[in-house]
Amino acid sequence: MVRPEPPPPPGQTPVVLAALTIGVLLMGIQLWLLTVALDLYLAGQPREIWRLAAVSGLIFLGGLLMLRLLRRRPRIQRQ
Amino acid sequence: MGAVSEFPYHWDADELVSRRELLQFAVYTSGTLFAATTLLALLGLIRSQERHDVRPIARVGEVPEGEALYFRYPDPDDEAVLLHLPGGRFVAYSQKCTHLSCSVYYQPEHTRLFCPCHNGIFNPLTGDPVAGPPQRRLPQIILRQEGDLLYAVGQVP
Repeated sequence: MVRPEPPPPPGQTPVVLAALTIGVLLMGIQLWLLTVALDLYLAGQPREIWRLAAVSGLIFLGGLLMLRLLRRRPRIQRQ
Repeated sequence: MGAVSEFPYHWDADELVSRRELLQFAVYTSGTLFAATTLLALLGLIRSQERHDVRPIARVGEVPEGEALYFRYPDPDDEAVLLHLPGGRFVAYSQKCTHLSCSVYYQPEHTRLFCPCHNGIFNPLTGDPVAGPPQRRLPQIILRQEGDLLYAVGQVP
């Protein structure tokens, strides 16, 4: 039987939810950047695409950082 | 028991996706989008470094002023059009419409390049879209004149 994950520590749920919301919004921006990049590629302006890739990469790095910051830590057992 | 055999999943055994797992999935998707954008940048870089052949197209006298000559460049499957514009200037463009790749044709009576699929119109002087659904200009073919021979030497996307 699969045991459900224990609930997050108090105060962590809103932080994870906020991270998730911001992450989804930034993903939307990345998708938009990809469509602009495709348009530039078809228009034969590849130099501009590198800038878009850099912004997209920064968003991705931000997401990785957020994932690392919100890593699950073992709970402190209090007496 | 009959209901259990028809739908044999218990709530406890069902896999729940936690917020963290969803966040992880979002970050992976973000990485995929970044990779796709970088791939496009790389493809664009490779395409910009491509060299095209130098190929004779026509003699100057073969295309009267205000007329067009259809040829293929840079590959045998790539249709292109050479225009002898009023005033004596020569220009050449890819015939592939930037909307949905139909062939565009020169209409001397209207002095325009016309795509019959969706009524797209391009300016023959610049290749810019003037009307209809196309948003990008036609790829221009670079010409060089040597004596009375016109050569195609490259393509500007």
